[in-house]
This record gives sequence, C-alpha cells and structure tokens, in this order.
Amino acid sequence: MAEDVHKNPEVNGSKQPFSTSAKSFSAEDEAALTEALKRCSPATIEAAVKFRRTGDPTPVPTVVIGIIERFAEPDQRARLRGADDDLRLIEDLGIDSLTMMEIVILVEDALQMSINNDELRNLRTLGDIKVFIDCKVRGLPPPKPSRFLPIEHIGAVMPIQPPFLFLNEATIGSSSASAKYKITGDEFFLKGHFKDNPVMPASIMLEAIGQLAVLFLIEGGHGEEGKQADPQTIYFTGCEGVRAHRICKPGDTLTISIKPKRLKMPLATIEGQIRVGQEKAVYVEEITLTYGFRDAIAQPVPVASVSATVTPKAVHSLPAAAARVITPATVSVRPA
Amino acid sequence: MSKVYITGLGLITSIGNDLASATRSLRELRHGFEVYPPFDKPDVPVKVVGTIKEFSVDSSDPEDWVFPKKYSIKREILRGLAPNSLFAYCSMLQAIEDARLSPDDVANPQTGLYAASGGSPFLTHHYHERMLKVGVMRTSPLGIVASIAGTLNFNLVAHFKILGASCGFSSACASSMHGLGFAYEEIRTGRQRRMFVVGAEDCNTDSILPFAGMRALSLQCDPNLASRPFDVARDGFVGTGGGAVVVLESEDEVARRGVRPYAEVAGWGQASDGYNVAISHPDGIGLHLAMKLALKDSGCAPGEIDYVNAHATSTPIGDASEIKALKAVFNIPGARPAISGTKALTGHGLSLSGVMETAFCAIALREGFIPGSAHISQLDPLCEGLNILRATVAEAPKVVLNNSSGFGGANVCTVLKRAT
Repeated sequence: MAEDVHKNPEVNGSKQPFSTSAKSFSAEDEAALTEALKRCSPATIEAAVKFRRTGDPTPVPTVVIGIIERFAEPDQRARLRGADDDLRLIEDLGIDSLTMMEIVILVEDALQMSINNDELRNLRTLGDIKVFIDCKVRGLPPPKPSRFLPIEHIGAVMPIQPPFLFLNEATIGSSSASAKYKITGDEFFLKGHFKDNPVMPASIMLEAIGQLAVLFLIEGGHGEEGKQADPQTIYFTGCEGVRAHRICKPGDTLTISIKPKRLKMPLATIEGQIRVGQEKAVYVEEITLTYGFRDAIAQPVPVASVSATVTPKAVHSLPAAAARVITPATVSVRPA
Repeated sequence: MSKVYITGLGLITSIGNDLASATRSLRELRHGFEVYPPFDKPDVPVKVVGTIKEFSVDSSDPEDWVFPKKYSIKREILRGLAPNSLFAYCSMLQAIEDARLSPDDVANPQTGLYAASGGSPFLTHHYHERMLKVGVMRTSPLGIVASIAGTLNFNLVAHFKILGASCGFSSACASSMHGLGFAYEEIRTGRQRRMFVVGAEDCNTDSILPFAGMRALSLQCDPNLASRPFDVARDGFVGTGGGAVVVLESEDEVARRGVRPYAEVAGWGQASDGYNVAISHPDGIGLHLAMKLALKDSGCAPGEIDYVNAHATSTPIGDASEIKALKAVFNIPGARPAISGTKALTGHGLSLSGVMETAFCAIALREGFIPGSAHISQLDPLCEGLNILRATVAEAPKVVLNNSSGFGGANVCTVLKRAT
C-alpha cells in the first residue's frame, strides 16, 4: 500500500512557482505554524516565521534542516548538524520513505508550498533538498535530479579504467557530485607505499577527486545545445590549495565530493574534498581540468526508429571511448 | 489433532494494566469506572466510562501520548498507532514476557496473529477533518494504517515480525472470540504452532458515545451502579477500551518449552441469530446453539461446566436473551454452573471483550477462584433457576464456558479446561 502511494501518478503538487507575496501572514497563521513546528527547535520556528512574514528565502534552509532533524532518530541528529550537502537521508540518516513523506508534508505546511511525488523521488541528499526548496521558493525551475551511477555505468563512460579507477559508485547532481571508494588493500601501489605500511597516497586521493570531476563533466549535462564534454579531451591542468588531514588505510571508505566553481569550455574548475565517515581526509581548493565538446548522444528512442534517428557516429562514440584505457586526468603533485 | 493451551496473557484494562492487578480486581470485585470528564456536558446524558489509567492518549498526535515508562516505543512505531493499537502493543509485550517467548518463538512461520478492533473512529475523524482542511496530500502518510479496523494486525505483525497466519476479525463484540476460535483451529489442525489473539479498542468519546444513539449505554451517573448485568434495574452498558492478548500454543510447543499453561482450550462453537442487525434474538437462539456446539466440540456435558463467563453487557434486552439461552442449556438436572458477568467490573470492551474475558477465565482456572457478578442489588426475576454468583468464591473451576455476542446476531462460545 505504501508503494502505491509513491507510484500514484495523480498528484496535486503544483509545478507553478511559489509566490511569496500571495498571502499575508496573520497572527492566526503564525499560531498554526508554531503549532505545526512544535517539535522543532526554536531556531527552526523562528526561521519559518521570518520566511512567512517577509518572503525572504534566506532562512529556508534552516527550516528544512530543522524539520529533517525533528524526524530523525535522536541518535542521528548530531550527524545532521555537522553534515555537508552529500549526506544521504535514506542511506546515511536511516530515514525511510514514509518519514520522508512526513518531512515533505511538514515542509509544505511550514513553507506553504506543494511538492509532488515525482519531485519527491529525486531528493536523495541534504543538498538536493536545499537546492530544490530554494528553487521552489524563488520560483525557479527545480534542478535536474541527481543520478546514482553504479560501477558498471562509471566503467562504461570513463576514459580512466581499472586498476587506476578510484570510484566505486557515484551520485551526480547538477551542481555537485559525490562518490565512494573503498580502499581494499589490493591496490598495486600500496605494496610500495609504504614498505610494510600501506597508506593511500595523497596524490591518488587527489586523482580520485579529479576522476569524479571527469565523471561530473561527462555525466553532469553541462554541454551547450547539442554538445557535451568529450571524454577523450579531458586532461589535468593544475591544482591549488591541497591539504591532507588524515591518513587513509585499507578498510577505509573514502567519500569524495566535488562542487564546480567555474565551468566554461575549455576549463572546468572544481572544489573537492574527501571524508572518511565524518573525518576530513583531503581538501583541495581548486582542481582545473581542460576539456572539449563533442556532439551529444541522442536521447534513447523507441527501438523501431533507432536506425532512422541516431547517427552512426553517435552510436559508436560511446563504446569507443569506454574501451580505450587512457589516464589523462592524473594529478601530478608530490606524494604525501 | 493437537491440544491447544493458553500459555501467556497480556492485559491493559480498566481494572488493571497488568495481570496481578487485574487478578486482584477480579477477585475483590473492584470496578474500573469513573465519571469521564469529556462527558461532563449538558447534552451528553452518558457519564461513566471504564477508563484506562496511566495512559493519556487524548491527542491525535501520538508523540503527545503519555504511557507507563516501562513501555519504550520509538517514534517510528508510535506514528502508525491508534490508542487501541498502543494498548495492544503494550499487551503484546506483557504476553510475550508472561509466556516466556524468545524473539525466535515470536518471529517464525509457525507463529501467527489474529486481531480484532473496531478501528479508531477518533483518528479517522481527525484525519478526514485534516484532509478536508489542509488538502489531500498533507494528511499523515500513516493515517490509514493507524485508524482503520486492521490497525492492530498491521502494526503488531510488522513490529513483532510475525511470519505466520495473520488477519483481523470483524463481528463487532464477538470479533476477538472469533479470532480465538479460528486461532484455536490453526493450532488444532497443525497449520500453526502458536497464535497470538489480540483484542483492543480506543477508550474515548468517539469510540463510546455513538452507542448512545441506539440507547445502548447506561445513563447512570454513579460508577458503582452503572454496569450491573442481571440486575432488574440495569439500563445499558458502560463503555471501555484497552487491550488484551492471549497466547495459544500446541501441546508440542508447551512440552518443548517446558512452560506451565493457564488452561486448555477444549473447543468452541458459533451460530447466528438471523434476526436483527443490532438487537439480539429475544430467546437467544443463536447463543443457545453456539453454547451447544461449543460443548459438543469440547466433549463436555452441560453438567461438567463449573463457571460461565456470560457476555452480559448490562443492557435490558441483551442480558434477557442470554438468560433465556443459558436456561435452555443449563436448566437440566445436574447442571448448575456459577454464572457471572465481568463487564460489571470492566465495562463493555466491544471487540476487545471476548479475548479479555478469555484471559479472565484463564486467570480463574489457574488461580482457583470464580469472580462474582458485581453490582446486583435486585436480581432480575428472569434469572430464576440460574446460579448467578453474587460474590467471588474461592472454588477452583475445572471447566469454564465463555460467551460472546455481536451485532448482526453473531454468537461465539469457547470452552476452557484447567490444564492438567
């Protein structure tokens, strides 16, 4: 039954942008708002009242985080407070899909907006929610949802291949990406780095951040009309402000995340970091890659018409790129 | 055919929220009635309720509820509960402990759960009102499972990880006795080794006051007089709620686990009046037949029955029907069972009553006493020839008959025997 609720296509969530000036905020409304948020922190209530009174979207993230916090199990709340935008609600916070709906209903109630089922399905991380609500409040179209890419997908599209691929899974959003890599201890370079003391080289960790940036360029949908980043043209150009905070060893799972700072062909600059659990491992202010465009691959179309609409070049370009083993994005900094 | 035993009980009732206090109330004929503050209004002529103490569940938001600290319940579970499923949840915990069941004993394909409740009219009302007020998509995602009649089985099966048979029964005040009867069948026929039988009801304005419309509720203001089955001046039932759980197990399980059962379930029977949607047949023909079938099923003659826990809600018509049915079965030489109505103490728990009174019978069998029928100042002359027990006696019954009747003329009776 719960599944039916999720899949029900008849939703009343409106796609119209939220209008902050639509209603005045009466004392009665404030009392109802305070009652609805009674189990949230005072700061959450204050932020919600401020937003509803002024229409200023600045306090909105505080409201949203406060509502998520109210529904999280008490032992998970600390995680939420220190969390970055990559925190996943279901996998990391243990929030199930019904709780997710409770959160949405209270957010709708507090901010006086409607969120429909399709939109709800795409909200995986704290960052997704913040960006989504922010767009709603400002009346902007919501960003494209982040996508989860399993290793099979990563392997098929990346110019970098094992044994030099340091992404096990990734989530690509429109304005950020995150990935995980578990250090197995079987990595070839750990035999010598260091003698009888396997430590993940900081250079390789920067490489992992660079690889996620490559994946983001390929899969993040940043082309111009009909163009997209060509995997065969992406190379490393430089990095700035690298700091390593934690020694990473076999058994550690690296959580890699990046955010683009500037994206304009032929240069892409991103900010990146790696965490192990809640601990910061590596931070890099900037990694810059160079890249070029190629024609975008046509969207999937019904099988019967594939041959008529897809150009031969587009059909062949993906397997060709995926098959080639090249390592253009290797970061050359001094090992730790 | 396997023998079936009662091995564990859990009770949240107006006369006690644990076995020890409920047993004491039964023995000492202490009732659980109070003048109910929400009925203290000029337009509400009903005043008395069999209240559930130590629980404060008047809010529509389960996170506002107050209940005894020994029950620690996570928000994730609470959000899908109604007051009745909270009572049932607590009763389940008691019953599992009382029967000394391990988590593996509870969660396996050979253990099932049958339940009965009328749902939560209180929460249904709340969620419908909210839907109309704030919109279809802003009602609680768990509003349905918390409030409809299946809320007990939905919640308990999920939270106690029940893997065997499960369903709910809906025959109004006979519901949980139907649950007991069919749970007994599951074990007797070897389809299950263990069954939880659960009954629970809300105890509030929305669950009780609608019965005022059919003039079924007592209008007595004195808690000591309101519920008096078999009294000539009885004027209706007193509403109550709460939860009750009975654990049934096969003889193999009883032997394997080495537990001492309360009683054996020896048989059951059911029959219908085919008469009126809400009024029992004036001669109690369905109940008469159900008693006969239960006796036959258990291989007991009327003369072997030591005690009858009557349905006896304290309504003028209902009690009269039952008196006639009892006379038809027991007015024979050698048969003179003690008869009492424990609703004189608890009030009428609707769907809950059958399994609650089964628990009372199990207590009587194990503890060796027969609870009296309280609050009778002038016995209805119609009872002439029946042994209506006016005070508790310290006599250990060997065989007990338990009656239950519901709307539509559904009648269910079970026979319990002292475990040997």
